[in-house]
Amino acid sequence: MKQINLLLIAVFALSFASCEDTFLAPELETGINAENYYTTDSEIQAGILNIYDGIQGVNALKITNNNLNHGVQVEFYLTEMRSDNTETKSNEGEAAQFESFTIESTNGIVADYYRSYYNVIFRANLVLDKLDAASPEKKAAFAAEAKFLRAYAYFNLVRLFGDVPLVAGLISPLDTETAFTRVSSSLVYDFIVSDLQDAVANLSDGGANDQASKAAAEGILAKVYLTLGRYSEAQTLLESIMSPSRGFSLENDFKDVFYNEGNNEVLFAIGYVPSSNDDSQNFSAEWLNAVGRTSGVNYVSMDAKAFLDTHGGNRTALSYREDAAQAGKYQVVKYLPNGDAALGIPVTSSDPTSAGNDWVVLRYSDVLLMHVEAIMAGGASTTSSNAIASFQAVRNRAGLTDAVTSISKQELADERRAELAFENHRFFDLVRLGLAQDVLSAFSAANGLGYSTTDLLLPIPQVEIGLSNGLLSQNPGY
Amino acid sequence: MKQITNTIKSNIFNLKMLSLVALAGFMFSCEDNVLPEANSIEDLTPPSAMFSATESNGDWQTYDFSNQSVSSTTYAWTFGDGNTSTAKEPSNTYAAEGIYTVTLTSSDANGLTSTFSSDVEVVEPLVPVILLPEILEASFEDGMLDGGSGDGRDSWRNSDLGGVIQITSSPTNSGSQAAKFPSAGDRIAYQELEVSPNQDYVLEYWYTMKTSGTGHMTVSVLAGDSFTDTSAAVAATIATFEGTDQTSSNDYVKVELPFNSGNNTKVSIYMFNAGVESRVDDVSLRLP
Repeated sequence: MKQINLLLIAVFALSFASCEDTFLAPELETGINAENYYTTDSEIQAGILNIYDGIQGVNALKITNNNLNHGVQVEFYLTEMRSDNTETKSNEGEAAQFESFTIESTNGIVADYYRSYYNVIFRANLVLDKLDAASPEKKAAFAAEAKFLRAYAYFNLVRLFGDVPLVAGLISPLDTETAFTRVSSSLVYDFIVSDLQDAVANLSDGGANDQASKAAAEGILAKVYLTLGRYSEAQTLLESIMSPSRGFSLENDFKDVFYNEGNNEVLFAIGYVPSSNDDSQNFSAEWLNAVGRTSGVNYVSMDAKAFLDTHGGNRTALSYREDAAQAGKYQVVKYLPNGDAALGIPVTSSDPTSAGNDWVVLRYSDVLLMHVEAIMAGGASTTSSNAIASFQAVRNRAGLTDAVTSISKQELADERRAELAFENHRFFDLVRLGLAQDVLSAFSAANGLGYSTTDLLLPIPQVEIGLSNGLLSQNPGY
Repeated sequence: MKQITNTIKSNIFNLKMLSLVALAGFMFSCEDNVLPEANSIEDLTPPSAMFSATESNGDWQTYDFSNQSVSSTTYAWTFGDGNTSTAKEPSNTYAAEGIYTVTLTSSDANGLTSTFSSDVEVVEPLVPVILLPEILEASFEDGMLDGGSGDGRDSWRNSDLGGVIQITSSPTNSGSQAAKFPSAGDRIAYQELEVSPNQDYVLEYWYTMKTSGTGHMTVSVLAGDSFTDTSAAVAATIATFEGTDQTSSNDYVKVELPFNSGNNTKVSIYMFNAGVESRVDDVSLRLP
């Protein structure tokens, strides 16, 4: 009888087993994998750090394999160098496609950025998928942090590429339809707004500024709202950040914004660690003369130099310098890894090719100038005293203390260019303020470049189009 | 030996091919090239016209056209107002408001064409109107509301924040009535105003206080409307003036209280006192 029972159990067990496909896809029991890893808060936390790691990207000078993701470290190519601010030192090669507005769909830097940010989105989706393992108290904050970073990635993608595939969760390799179907940018923006609203509601302040916070989420959401013309909602968020109780302020010395990390001006930065192979960056080296892989990129255009000379105030000397090794060429002074004794800038990284300078994403003067923009509300100018107070605060720090009585859109754009030069804002600002056509066509004509309106969107990388088997369409003009 | 045979065969084959090619050459030369040339492939990317129009910065009459055509080399634009262009990305300035149908015909070097049309609506932007709301019963006189109604304080009530003000007939700053706030400090005046957001205004009023006792006569402007409790009202204060001038109980003192309406379409005036019997008269709102 006992034997029969055992037999029955065996039969049952067999029939159960046959319902699953563990025979073909056996559960991995000995190793850690994505399916079984996430079981505790600290493991979810590791998954969150992994998202930041994706944005941080790989230092191409320290880990030199091809086809790695370099994240925010290559963003300046797609933004500053595609504006009137910067160019390559030697005006040649793939990197020079940006400054001349002749970007090919095969451009590897564009593909790197696209790939990197979808990888960031994947890492965020992975955490969001495994949240059931989190403790109830921490679950909402974890979700908020992942959504903040996912929204930040989508906000950059939608501004650079226009309509993009919207991957809202984990997808299987066979789900090519989701991976390669471009979704209208208004729907992508809806998704971004929803993620950031969640982030604002469930994040808190007080952590390190290279971590997501309520203030960072409010600031990025405000910029999304400004991009969408939702000015009043933007203003509410910005005034929330500006409330004195939140503790944000302008640094007295402009230099300290970049060389006194962890200051009260920076709301959100991507953190780097000097002399670390895994967590350092090489963009600081690339901006120098033949210290990085390039002979020098993100060099200051003559247009930007002339502009800063007249509009920069005391920021000018801390924004660019003449290349000591090549007269007549000008380097960015923000994010120097090896210091500049003449400017009083300390050496922050003993080896400039593994620099530790954090990349500043959002800082308080950007918040103040967004506040002006929200009050201007798409108009040609404003005389509102609240707008003037914010504007004047930024100018006073720069030593431009003449009293402002009204602000035109052009003056706002100029102040943003002077204050936030070489911080990857210029291109987005021109587009958002409706000045891109005027400014870039004039800049292109004056310098014999190839700008046309279709250059306002980057090409979808050709490699993605090839993989999509006809699903992914190219932007016009490429 | 076998190799030699192969070579010979191969040569014969080549010869045949050569004659075939020669024949083919003769045949084609008799015709007018209506057939595609050998090895030519079909044009799978015919031109496709597409554009978008954006209002030029700072000029509502001028539109910039962004050419998004594919596989095209020449372009012909008609802007709907009689103007035309063959530039790739032209601009056009319209003489007047209206809806214009813009047509782009794009062509490739094979002579294939594609046409796309879209309407452009040229509208002169509205000049933003700055609201300057009227303050009701601003001098606390009787009969100031519609149809000659009103007791001078009907527009100033908010029972959640405090009792309604009293009316005094002497002293007044003008007319025959003013608002009176007894020394108990339990009465308030409150009125909501519709304003333009982020606009600078100046609230003007006159006040006087009795000479004995200590206290204040405070007038505040609050962000928003529908206040139902005092602490929320105080927290929403945009601008406030705490009057303490007790020089004379008969002579009114003028106060100018500048404020910016901020991110609000409504603000509220909130007046309250403490300690000393006080009077307020002739409230007005102006632009700076």
